[in-house]
Amino acid sequence: MNKPLLEMKNINSFYGPVQVHFDLSMTVPENSIVCLLGGNASGKSTTMKTILGLQVPKSGTVSMEGRDITGLPTPEIVRSGIATVPEARRLFGDMTVRENLMMGAYTRTDKPAIAEDFERMLELFPRLKERVSQKAGTMSGGEQQMVAMARALMARPKLICMDEPTMGLSPLFVDRVLELIATVRSTGVSVFMVEQNASIALSIADYGYVLQTGRIMLEGPASDLLADPRIRSAYLGEDIAA
Amino acid sequence: MEFISNLVSMPWLDYSISGLVIGSIYALMAIGLALIFGVANLINFAHGAVFTVGSYIGWTCLVALHLPLGVSIVLVALGTGIVGALIEWLAIRPLNRQSRIAPLLSTIGVGLILDQVIHIVFSPTPRALSANIPNWRIQVGNGTIGPIDITIALTAILSAGLLYLFLYKTKLGMAVRATAQDDDAAKQMGVNINRVNMTVFGIAGALGGIAGLLVGLYFNSIDPNASFQMMLKGMVAIVIGGMANVPGAIGGGLILGLIESYGIGLFGASYRNLFAFAVLLIMLLFRPNGLFARKGERHAEPMTGTFVSQSKPVRIPKQLILALVVVALLLPMANQPYITQIMTNAYLYGLAALALTLVSGTVGLVSIGHAALLALGAYASALATTKGLPVGLGLIFGGLFAGIVGTVLAYPAFRLRGHYVAIGTLALGEIVALVILNWTPVTNGALGVFAIPPLELFGVPLYGTNQSYWFVLGLLLVFCGLQVRLLNSHLGRTWRAIREDTVAAETYGISSNYYKGLAFGFAGFTAGIAGAVTAHQWSFINYDSFNLQFSVLILTMVLLGGMGNVSGAVLGAIVIAALPEFFRAVAEYRMLFYGAALIILIRFRPQGLLGSG
Repeated sequence: MNKPLLEMKNINSFYGPVQVHFDLSMTVPENSIVCLLGGNASGKSTTMKTILGLQVPKSGTVSMEGRDITGLPTPEIVRSGIATVPEARRLFGDMTVRENLMMGAYTRTDKPAIAEDFERMLELFPRLKERVSQKAGTMSGGEQQMVAMARALMARPKLICMDEPTMGLSPLFVDRVLELIATVRSTGVSVFMVEQNASIALSIADYGYVLQTGRIMLEGPASDLLADPRIRSAYLGEDIAA
Repeated sequence: MEFISNLVSMPWLDYSISGLVIGSIYALMAIGLALIFGVANLINFAHGAVFTVGSYIGWTCLVALHLPLGVSIVLVALGTGIVGALIEWLAIRPLNRQSRIAPLLSTIGVGLILDQVIHIVFSPTPRALSANIPNWRIQVGNGTIGPIDITIALTAILSAGLLYLFLYKTKLGMAVRATAQDDDAAKQMGVNINRVNMTVFGIAGALGGIAGLLVGLYFNSIDPNASFQMMLKGMVAIVIGGMANVPGAIGGGLILGLIESYGIGLFGASYRNLFAFAVLLIMLLFRPNGLFARKGERHAEPMTGTFVSQSKPVRIPKQLILALVVVALLLPMANQPYITQIMTNAYLYGLAALALTLVSGTVGLVSIGHAALLALGAYASALATTKGLPVGLGLIFGGLFAGIVGTVLAYPAFRLRGHYVAIGTLALGEIVALVILNWTPVTNGALGVFAIPPLELFGVPLYGTNQSYWFVLGLLLVFCGLQVRLLNSHLGRTWRAIREDTVAAETYGISSNYYKGLAFGFAGFTAGIAGAVTAHQWSFINYDSFNLQFSVLILTMVLLGGMGNVSGAVLGAIVIAALPEFFRAVAEYRMLFYGAALIILIRFRPQGLLGSG
């Protein structure tokens, strides 16, 4: 396995008196795709928030390249090399595609390199080229997903966190998004994705974790998980007895 | 018909020019409010006070220091910009984890403090402001334009231009726009939201301050009591323009300026403010997204979830309440007429607070126009009894009148939520005051009602210090008892259900308008009687007896006690109304005390002393 990039160790988090995470530990190695599977209320979104510093755990640590980033303000965490594709994309709908991408580079100050990366994104996502001046809110779901990924890449991150990247997309676009995720990894960036759709996520991931009511119930290489009967029954709708 | 002849003979061009000039000042106010609403989801009620601070910094620069106009404008912008940023830092940022009404109330507190400071430093009387601008006028069609008009228009355009450059050509400006659209997503891009908010409050402050100076130039005088009216004008403009929409705010300001100007031409100047409120109500009812929004573009009610912070109410043992009631009943025996009088006054506030805590706390409609209910009751009883109705019946008439008319007036606001209720009720409160002021044949207009008969009940005189004390205490106890019973009944649960989630309550078949109406009716009755008793005690009332400050004061009492909490309302009223009287030094700077109390309370004990019920 590659060197660990993001590590979460023994995270316990709470919403008021309600415990959401129980001793959660996870690792995202360099140059890999890791997925976190789980149903509703399993604690997936809280995991995302914890990584981004939007939710501070009661105990446990989040570290990036060995540096403790637990409880840092979100801008600091973004600077440490983590970018996001939020749930439902959350583009700035009234701003143009160009402005959305520039927001992705918000923490950077190296202007020439930003301009270079912007051109690179247009090559990576040719569809965006003809639409740089279009308002992001007026684009189709698939195009918006591209903007969201390009926006994340503009931060020159080492890791992109994606919250349900395929949610609400047509099956055709789901395939396209999976291709995009593969493209992202090919540029040397790791991907951590949270998904409900196990078969889609495991088809592309290297490694997977299964979260259930705040605890990691199962983990392993994606191919093993895909073959695991418990996964097949719980997430892929197959009758285990059959 | 005077109106028709005015319509024909009115110099339209002149009125258009002055409408646009005033409108561009409203636009400056509105831009700041819209920017703040965009990034912080908050209506900044301190914005009017920042305007006033700006006019006084302007006066200091122009009149006291004889600085040139250009330098003065820059200094005003810097000064009020810093004030704005400080407001964000001290009064807003610490509240970011609290209920959504908290920052709004906090800005009301800041506004009270700034206004009082201006009163203390510069005295509460208006001052002349002249900038030695030459006095020629150019003929344009059948109207004229003077150098002041041009100065104002140019300053406004230049400010708006600089703002445009900032928002669209700088990185921080881009972050401001991104934050306004989705603050969570902006945060995830690495935007420091606190810095964005502070910048926006600073810019809004600068623009508001410039507006203050320009209004001073236009009218050749500045008024330390203008804050509230100007804040309202800005607010009406952003409601027209669509809340967080900056170009919309500019359009809204100009439209409001024109409407006012034409309205004054057609109906006369005493109606000036009525137009603004009429426009506000019409917009809230029919186009809550603003004139410029495409259908369904923005949510009419961005507030979701509970608006008021929740907590467990403190249980007070029955024996303690009983003991306190006995002490209260025996108080006049101590033979301290001054204290007895103060407490009578406090109990009257208690009655008013009781009514507000029902509407705002239990049902969740945070009202900033509560004084109107008291005004309705007071006027109804005062006018009826000066024409011969016995006082006892007058009180009941006042209560019924306030209950019925108040509910009818508030009915349109029932479909609003969150901040919009606050704006709507505020407008209603002002409309009631303005109707009282302008409907002279019935209300005696600005002169007010004199020689209101003293308190008596069917021949039994109640105007002695002790008698009126016992009477008011009795009223308070009766209404407290009634309200507690209501809250513990099925009705009380229904009200709380509507507060927690109106939509969910409706899906259970609760007609929320009907229950909101019941709450307003009962609260109006209580408040109307409080107003009527006050009128008979004072023997004189006018349109300003129950003003916005009064409304804010009652709201502070309710907050202090705990929203929806009956004993809290009484405690809050006693603390706020009676305590300052015992410390003369505090009484002098009353508004400072109230403002500080409001801010500190919201910061450190948002659920109130006794918890919200």
